[in-house]
Amino acid sequence: MSSIELMSPAGSFESLQAAIDNGADSVYFGIEQLNMRAVSSINFTLEDLPEIVARCKPKGIHTYITLNTILYDHDMTLMRGIVDEAARCGVSAIIAADHAAIAYARQKGMAVHLSTQANVTNVETLRFYSMFADTMVLSRELSLNQVKKIVEAVERENICGPSGKPVQVEIFAHGALCMAVSGKCYLSLHTHNSSANRGACRQNCRQKYYVTDEDGNELMIDNEYIMSPKDLCVIDILDQVLDTGVRVLKIEGRGRSADYVAVTTRCYREAIDSYYEGTYSKEKVENWLERLATVYNRGFWNGYYLGQELGEWTEDHPGSHATQKKVYLGPGLGYFPKAGIGHFRIEAYDLKVGDPVLITGPTTGVQYHTIHEMMVDEKPTIAAVRGEEVTFPVPFKIRPSDKLYKLVQSED
Amino acid sequence: MIIITLQRDKCIGCNYCVELAPEFFRMSKKDGKCTLLHAVEKKGFHTARTPFEHAEEPLQAAAKACPVKIIKIKPL
Repeated sequence: MSSIELMSPAGSFESLQAAIDNGADSVYFGIEQLNMRAVSSINFTLEDLPEIVARCKPKGIHTYITLNTILYDHDMTLMRGIVDEAARCGVSAIIAADHAAIAYARQKGMAVHLSTQANVTNVETLRFYSMFADTMVLSRELSLNQVKKIVEAVERENICGPSGKPVQVEIFAHGALCMAVSGKCYLSLHTHNSSANRGACRQNCRQKYYVTDEDGNELMIDNEYIMSPKDLCVIDILDQVLDTGVRVLKIEGRGRSADYVAVTTRCYREAIDSYYEGTYSKEKVENWLERLATVYNRGFWNGYYLGQELGEWTEDHPGSHATQKKVYLGPGLGYFPKAGIGHFRIEAYDLKVGDPVLITGPTTGVQYHTIHEMMVDEKPTIAAVRGEEVTFPVPFKIRPSDKLYKLVQSED
Repeated sequence: MIIITLQRDKCIGCNYCVELAPEFFRMSKKDGKCTLLHAVEKKGFHTARTPFEHAEEPLQAAAKACPVKIIKIKPL
């Protein structure tokens, strides 16, 4: 067991369960609208908090609420309500950047994690915030050398948070990067009145742009996606990352699907564990990279950690470069526990013996399975088509809230 | 007559509508979302009416500025 904390995103109950099942040490999630994914993820409500804590606490998984947008005066009651309810339900900490949220959380005795929105890039800023926060995520724009110097200063100077323990330094390990420093972007606000800093980013940077001069002549540029960085991935430099002494690795992606959470959490769990077991190897890295590429990604790079001067930008097409895609087949209907048989209705496409499938649901999380045999109308068959009800053996419970997907290779 | 509707549960509390049409919208200090004044709620949609035609301009501006597009203005 390592002392590194792997923190996974939970934008839904499906993702939450996927994080729990795949080895996350902690999860972070938004409640109501005061978080940086107010629009792009479903977001939990205050009523969901006891359920989230009940799923995580018995397994020793920490729970963190993102309360990290900029705040207006009219947000104070909701902000206080979220902190109060978090304290009452036993949530582990509040991730905040606005001083109002930081101050209130401390007043209520809640642990505070400093959000990337606070943009910590040096020891003195970290020292200042150590009056309030026990864990701080550093700016994604720092190099590993800079990260290491900050971690060393925390140890050398014994910079402690309110808990009396040295401040834990966290960095982003995987997921989307923003073209603006630590997400402080105003593009979306300027074009759509839709503020990224209120969790309503319209992702202007992910679109294709052409550059034309005032006479209408189009300029030759190498890359149409001039503002869309590739996704951050450090699994191939994890040894260097962990050598800096950071204690928490955060996976970005509250707006992404549960299978993304399952695969990224599992890969980083394996990578962290193998680093401490002394089995971290090039072959393993290749396998992890291959698996990470199966779920949503814009292509990978190491971010700014190795001191690269300019960003690497999305290539070929916008959106995901995932090598695998999931095709919705239909809902779960039930489960026969004695026989271990799942029952589904096929509402789209078809299902064949040999197909790899993914089953996802708010309680089930994300489960992968391959179809070895199946039945339609109680007769064995090799294919089921739209409109048919199918049963097949599965080693886990199927619920009516589950959805069945077929995994297919992406065409490009 | 102008009919104003607001799909309140999707509000992210940005305050634009209050800035642009303060006679019709208020930020609720209770939950940080905007409230359409004198409205009737049905299945999550809040509806209000005004006989003042000069209100259309600020109301349209509020609808246009709303980042989550939950304000609809319908002049009759």
